[in-house]
This record gives sequence, structure tokens and C-alpha cells, in this order.
Amino acid sequence: MMRALLPLCLALPLVAACSGNNTRMVGSDEYGDWQGSMVRSRPQGASSGIVVFGIDRERQAREAAAMGGTGLGVNAYLWRATLDTLSFMPLASADPFGGTIITDWYAPPSAPGERFRAQAYVMGRQLRSDGVRVQVFRQVQNGTQWVDAPVAAATNSELEDKVLARARELRSQSASR
Amino acid sequence: MRKILLASTAVLGAAVFAPSVAEAQQAPTVRIGGFFRFLYGYTQQNNNLSIGTLQNTIGASDPSLAQNQGLANTVSNGNELQRQSARLGHNDFSVTTGINVFVNGKAANGVTYGAVVQLQFNQAEGSARVARRAIMANTTASIDEAYGFIASPRLGQIRFGDEDGPMGGLLNSGFITNFGTGGVYGAWQEFMVRPNRTTTSPGGLGDNTKIIYLSPQFFGFDFGLSYAFNEGEGSGVGCLNSFASINCDRVYAVTGNQTFARSHALPGRVNEFQAMGRWRGNIAGVGLAASIGTMQSGVIRSANPITGDITKNLRSPQVYQAGAQATWMGFTVGGAYTWGNTTFFYIPTVRGDRNMEQFDVGGSYTFGPFTIGANAFWGSYNRVAAGAHRRYGYSIGGNYRFAPGLDFVAEFARHEVKQPGNANLVGTLNYLGTDRVKGSVFLTGVRLAF
Repeated sequence: MMRALLPLCLALPLVAACSGNNTRMVGSDEYGDWQGSMVRSRPQGASSGIVVFGIDRERQAREAAAMGGTGLGVNAYLWRATLDTLSFMPLASADPFGGTIITDWYAPPSAPGERFRAQAYVMGRQLRSDGVRVQVFRQVQNGTQWVDAPVAAATNSELEDKVLARARELRSQSASR
Repeated sequence: MRKILLASTAVLGAAVFAPSVAEAQQAPTVRIGGFFRFLYGYTQQNNNLSIGTLQNTIGASDPSLAQNQGLANTVSNGNELQRQSARLGHNDFSVTTGINVFVNGKAANGVTYGAVVQLQFNQAEGSARVARRAIMANTTASIDEAYGFIASPRLGQIRFGDEDGPMGGLLNSGFITNFGTGGVYGAWQEFMVRPNRTTTSPGGLGDNTKIIYLSPQFFGFDFGLSYAFNEGEGSGVGCLNSFASINCDRVYAVTGNQTFARSHALPGRVNEFQAMGRWRGNIAGVGLAASIGTMQSGVIRSANPITGDITKNLRSPQVYQAGAQATWMGFTVGGAYTWGNTTFFYIPTVRGDRNMEQFDVGGSYTFGPFTIGANAFWGSYNRVAAGAHRRYGYSIGGNYRFAPGLDFVAEFARHEVKQPGNANLVGTLNYLGTDRVKGSVFLTGVRLAF
């Protein structure tokens, strides 16, 4: 009997491995657990208990999900609010895990002789007033050349205020659902 | 067998370690989890009430043992000790706890790895009130399961160490245990005095040191294979003395094996192989699971102490099991059938004995934080030729989830052992004439999983 089973047992893992997209890993909590003749009643697997050494990635994921965003490395409300606030400018790059948003140069129709670019940093998972930093760069046209020009000191903080106001709005909308 | 095992392990190992997609490497994390359980139990049991003499009477052969264990009223009567009489009450509290350590890491090629160590604190079943040099407290710590694993999302995982087998608890279906403390497979076994306890459950196959392959799930199907050389656990040779004996892990022949190799507490199986396949799916909103598997092993043989001849006089245990369960709208029902040429606790049988068979059924219903359920088993076994050995058990109970991880439980369990015509079912001289033992336990308490 055992000899008859062995070829089958050796072939089955290869069949399982070749099943492509229909293959998935079985979680530890999908197996039974017994202590002698008694069934055990305890949590199992990689998400059980508390982390005493290393980084609790699952907790990070849970917190991110609880904050309204899944798969984000930073606070979802601040991230969404920053994107909304800077949406009038063309987007050059956005990294939701690092929390960085960089826009391309944008020339307002009302002032074609100058253009702006913004960099925003969303810092951390908490919805805090100091959780976002915005830096605006300005250039003016000098003949055929664009040259750097100073930005009013209040511009950065005003944009940050707009981001925070929008984040508060998004959060209140989320809470009222 | 060994060559094939090593070759297959090497092939699997090469496949698992082969680089696949690049993934973020993760340093190992160490998690601590476990459970705590406090129960009140009300126990009624016939074989320690109606007859009246103490079951674990200290024999005449070793009076010092009785004195060392602090047993009172053990009186010397010439060359023989008088037997002790005792009655057991109904009520008791019980506390059980376990600590689990989980180590998990991930390599850059997507392979996950780690180890699981489960500490239990109920190793010694009987003990003197105060532990001494050679006497353990009954809260003595020991390791239940301890295994390492290497897993690949596409190729499955290999577990190596002391762990349940695919048929011995990992992949079974039809055992409905999600209420109370597990119903007839639950904590009532901690209140009952032997021999009327301990079920022939999947976990009864034991955590002997083995290598296990668990496949990924493909098209709803997954399976597991395992191999163990013997029933030994942990490290060391297992021998109690400075010579070979039945206790040694690697024993394959022993004098008097029809007695020694057929005890629940002593090894009987060698070259144990388990295989079980499982399918899980969803048809018309009904969740389904079905398993079928087998355990095949060799058996410890007879060694003639004079001639040195080794002969086989026990049957090699070959057990099969099929089970299925369905879940719909909070209802779960299931059943399993186990049969083969073994007896209760998977003990090897003598040639000519009948095969065992056991039925398990159960059902539960979950609504909100409540789960209620019932399960039962009945089986016939044939350990001795005198008559069929039968065991029955049923339980009804439930639990209320007060908070995540915290449950209040209540449960009633009944268990009986019958062997008509066997005048000494209990196995001690005190109980001559007993061919039926029965007992009931009502328990309630709290369980915390963390």
C-alpha cells in the first residue's frame, strides 16, 4: 500500500506547483490544531499574539486600514487632501509609501510670465497639524530663460492650511458614513 | 523507503530554494501568544464512586514509592500493603495555560521561514501536592509542538519537528469543535479519571518528530504528507535505562511486544506515513470541505530473549479516514468515518483481531457572539479477543464571545466504555467485574486566547 502511494505523493507537489494563478498559499490558521486528544483553542500563525522582536507589519497595515486607506504608508486623509489641494497643477510623481508628491511646473493663465512647482511631504500615519509640509518653488521668465524667484513666505503655510482643512473635511465625511 | 524519502525531500528542497520573484526581504519577527483557561467542573464517574477503592493503589512491590509520594494511610501488612480506599467528590476548579512562540521571516526570493514552539503547563497528570526531587508538579512545563518551516507560495511548505500530521489533526474535516471547549474533544477529559477518558481523535496520533509536506491550495484542493521513523518526540534516545528497552525511540523489536507495544503510553508504531487530501469550496453559498486520508505504519516486532529471533505477531496499523462538513448561514454540520486494522488510540492489534471503526458527527450554529453546538462519536474496537470494545461520547455546549479573544464557555459531556464479558475493563484488581465505565462532566468557565 505504501509503495503504491509513494509515486502519487511525489507527483502531487509538482501538480500543485504547476497550477499557476489557481494556486495560493494555505495560511497557518487553515490547519487544525490539537494538544493530544483535545482540540486546541488558540489563535495561530503569523498574526497571533504580540510582537516582542521585529516590526509588526500587520499592525501597520491594520492601522492604515483603520485610517481609511489600504496599502498606504502614510495617513490616508492627509495623502488624499494633499492630492486634492495640488490637483490644479500637473503631477510629476507621487509615492504613497514615502508620502512624497512632486508636481510639474505650472504657469497660471492669469500670469503667463511665471510658473510654480510644489513638493509635498506627508509625514507619518497620524492625522496631525504638523503631518504635512509643502514647499513651493517659483520661476519667472526673463527673455527666453526661466530664472528662480522668491516665493512669499506665507505661501507654503497657506497651502498646508488648505491641505489640513481638506483632510478634516474628508475625515468628517468618512465618520458620518 | 528511506532513500525515496531523502530523494523527495531533496527535490522539494531544491524547488523551494530556487529563486523566484524578487520580494522585499523581511527580518524575522518573534511573536508571543497563547491561551488561558479557567473552568469549574462537576463530574460524575462510576468507576471511582461505586466500587470505592483507589484506582492508583500503590502495589506491594514498592512501598517506598508510596511514602515518597506522601500518600497517607498506606499501611504495611506483613509483606503486602493494604489497599487504600478513597472517594472522589464532584466539584473542582481547573486552570490550563499555554504559551506559544512564533518566529516568522521572509527571504528576498519570497520564501517564508520560521519556527513555532508551543509550551504547555499540564505535563504531569498525577503528582503529590508538593513537587519534590523526583516528582514533578502537575503544572510542569513541557513542549507540545515544536517545529520549523520553510514555505513557498507556489510549492507549499515543509514542516520539520514535533507536530501533528496531515491526518493527525492538520487536514481533517467533519470534526465540529468550534463551540465550548471542543465538545466531546474538549476539556472534559481534564476532569475524568482514567480509563474512562481520552478520545481516539485526530490529535491522538501524536506529535512524534516528523517531516511534513503541506501543499499550496490549487483549485480548492490541498494535501499533506508526513513521515516519522517512530513515535518518539524531542531529542535524546528515549531509553529510561542504560540499556535498550521499549521506551527507546528507535526500538523496533522487544520481548513481550503484545503487551508493551500495545499500551497507550508506550510506542507501537514505526515508519509512520500519513497522507491526507482536502477540498474546500463554495457551492450555491454553502461552504464545503471534505478530506480523505490514511496513516500507514510498521509495528514493533517480537524479540525472543533466548534465541534472538525477531518475528512479527502484531498487525501493522493501517487507518483510513473520510470526513466532510458544510457551512451555511452560521450553521455547520459535519461527520467523519475512521476505520482500519487498529484499535482505540491507534494501538496495534494482534493478528486475528477485528478492525476498528468509528463515526464522528457534529453541528454548530453561530449567531452574533454566540456559538452553540453538539458533537458525538461512537466506535467499536477489539483490543482483546473476549469481546468487542465499544466507546461512546457526546457533548452539547456553547460559548459567548465577550471580547476579542475572551470567551465564556459552558459544556456537558458524557463518555462511556463498554466491553461485555471482560471482567476487568479497568485493568486493576480493584475493579474485577467491571465491564462498563461511564462518566459525565458539566463544565463552565472562561477562556482567553492572546
